[in-house]
Amino acid sequence: MRYFAGVDVGSTQTKAVLVDEAGDMVAKVLVDTGSNVVKAAERAFLEAVAQAGTRREDVDYIVGTGYGRFNVTFGNDQVTEISCHAKGIAHVNPNVRTVIDIGGQDAKAIKIDATGDVKDFVMNDKCAAGTGRFLGNSAEVLNLSLDEIGPRSLEAKVPVRLSTVCTVFVETDILSHLALGRSVENILGGVHSAVAARVVALARRVGIERDVALTGGVSRNVGMVRALEHHLDVPIYVSPDAHFMGALGAALFARERAMAVAG
Amino acid sequence: MATAAMSEIEQVQDLTALVDGLRVLFEDPEFKVVSEIKRLTGKPIIGNFPVYSPVELFHAAGAHPVGLVGAGNQIEIAHADSRFQSFVCSVIKSTLELGLTDRLQDFEGIVFHSICDPARNLASVFKRNFPDKWVEYIHFPQNLVTESSVDYLENEYRRLLDRLQELTGKTVTNADVNNSIALYNTARSLMGTLYAFRRDHPHILTTRELYSLVRAGHILTVEEHIRLLEHALRLVRTKPGHERDHIRVILVGSFCEQPSLDLISAMEEAGLDILDDDFLLGRRWFTEDLPTDGNGVRTLASAYRDRSVISSVKHDSRRHKGDELVAQVKSSGADAVIVSVPKFCEPGLFDYAIYRRALLDAGIPHLFVEYEEKMWLFDKVQTEVETFVESLLLD
Repeated sequence: MRYFAGVDVGSTQTKAVLVDEAGDMVAKVLVDTGSNVVKAAERAFLEAVAQAGTRREDVDYIVGTGYGRFNVTFGNDQVTEISCHAKGIAHVNPNVRTVIDIGGQDAKAIKIDATGDVKDFVMNDKCAAGTGRFLGNSAEVLNLSLDEIGPRSLEAKVPVRLSTVCTVFVETDILSHLALGRSVENILGGVHSAVAARVVALARRVGIERDVALTGGVSRNVGMVRALEHHLDVPIYVSPDAHFMGALGAALFARERAMAVAG
Repeated sequence: MATAAMSEIEQVQDLTALVDGLRVLFEDPEFKVVSEIKRLTGKPIIGNFPVYSPVELFHAAGAHPVGLVGAGNQIEIAHADSRFQSFVCSVIKSTLELGLTDRLQDFEGIVFHSICDPARNLASVFKRNFPDKWVEYIHFPQNLVTESSVDYLENEYRRLLDRLQELTGKTVTNADVNNSIALYNTARSLMGTLYAFRRDHPHILTTRELYSLVRAGHILTVEEHIRLLEHALRLVRTKPGHERDHIRVILVGSFCEQPSLDLISAMEEAGLDILDDDFLLGRRWFTEDLPTDGNGVRTLASAYRDRSVISSVKHDSRRHKGDELVAQVKSSGADAVIVSVPKFCEPGLFDYAIYRRALLDAGIPHLFVEYEEKMWLFDKVQTEVETFVESLLLD
């Protein structure tokens, strides 16, 4: 059996996916990126190879993606994460026309067709507002883990309004709300709503066309999914492998390119 | 007259090395070559803020016009932020910062014109902060339909010329103006030849190289710039190159604040062959050679109206910017358009609405990117351009 790999080096986490000749995902691995981007990419890839129960030499083609795509030094090619997320999501759900990808430090909205070709896209500016980092900082101030904040935000009765979407100054805002006696749930409701509003404003620049999918690390946060649905007024599709869509797309590009080379 | 920099450049027989030398020259926030020109020629130095400035008049009056296009990513803005709001573009602030940090001491004067509100106010800010400097503001006509707009601009140029003669002490004759027009005709024609070469062979003459050759003319005297362009043309014609799997684009929106040279390279490396652009438009303002046997001042005024490029800082109700861009794409054989606009650039952002509609109607793909001259890292723009290239090549 021949395999094809995609390695998505994100700012916070690195994902590796292996697909087989049929394009089915046979391994998926997630590691923290840390400070040594090349090593993180290698580690994720080798763990995916082990998870698939195969050998390095059975992987025919490797595509790197994500902000650290050029650090996948053992790869054959690079494709941007936008093209890869589009490719990945079209593979798991061809009805999706708008992809919202929220990662650790960026957010993107991508308009695609049924084959996963990118028709339009927009990226956030260099600002952590509207990204996973904003949620991470908020969780830190409230002394909660990232896994806790989404479900607890759903318990908000009267979500607070934040006066800033600045990832640095949100800390002051949260402390002020705590001092005023607001519950953690209401504060988290406000935090998720603020991020969702920011991302939806970005997505409206390419136009919202159904079905809408959420990908990237933040897709694991159920509070964020609900907040986006509330602001968009449409249901949001979240694949069980939403976190791996970039790596899956990269692996699918690897498969296409290997087959093209083989003729 | 020959500057040391130019003497060295003329010895270089490799275009890539030549461009590295030019970069040192035009990215220098201390303007050492300008100081040398001043020492060698004794001419007063006049800074021309973008976009368009009638350099022929400054040259004819015995001054050396220097294109003053901000400071790129070479200096920190530590003073200018106190004079302007945070939503003002970088080139306004960095140009003022050059003044506030005493880097414009060799400049006797600076000339501005009606590009946008911050640029208009920059002239007043310079007057207030540097009362000893010769600061001028050219009021270009806003209504270009009537013949009287040429009369008006001729009068405005004569007013400017009177002020210039006070500064330089030289009495300017019509022959002086026509001689200067002839020199700048030659420089513009050579730049046009290089632009045509780049359009046909973007894999041989890159935009990074072409940009550097044009930008050097913002510092060098026009006589030296002509020698540089002639030298570069000789090198380009024998330079090898391999065609690349790139898309061919027209780039618009960068007519005033300039992206750094590394950002231009990043865009090319991300998969663009740029066939035409509006970088440094002011020095390529006229679409053909101007006559050199008439009333020189009126020739320049008339050419501003009737023989010049369309631009975001010039309103001409006889022409439609969107239609001209679409025609430019079709005639050049480009695949797409990059609308590359500096952050907070109102004229550029206003025109994006016009371009976007025209391009969508014509079915021409485009990508909108924003930049700032002070950028050091280009990963966002590079990702945007790569994705755009992929979306066209992978279709």
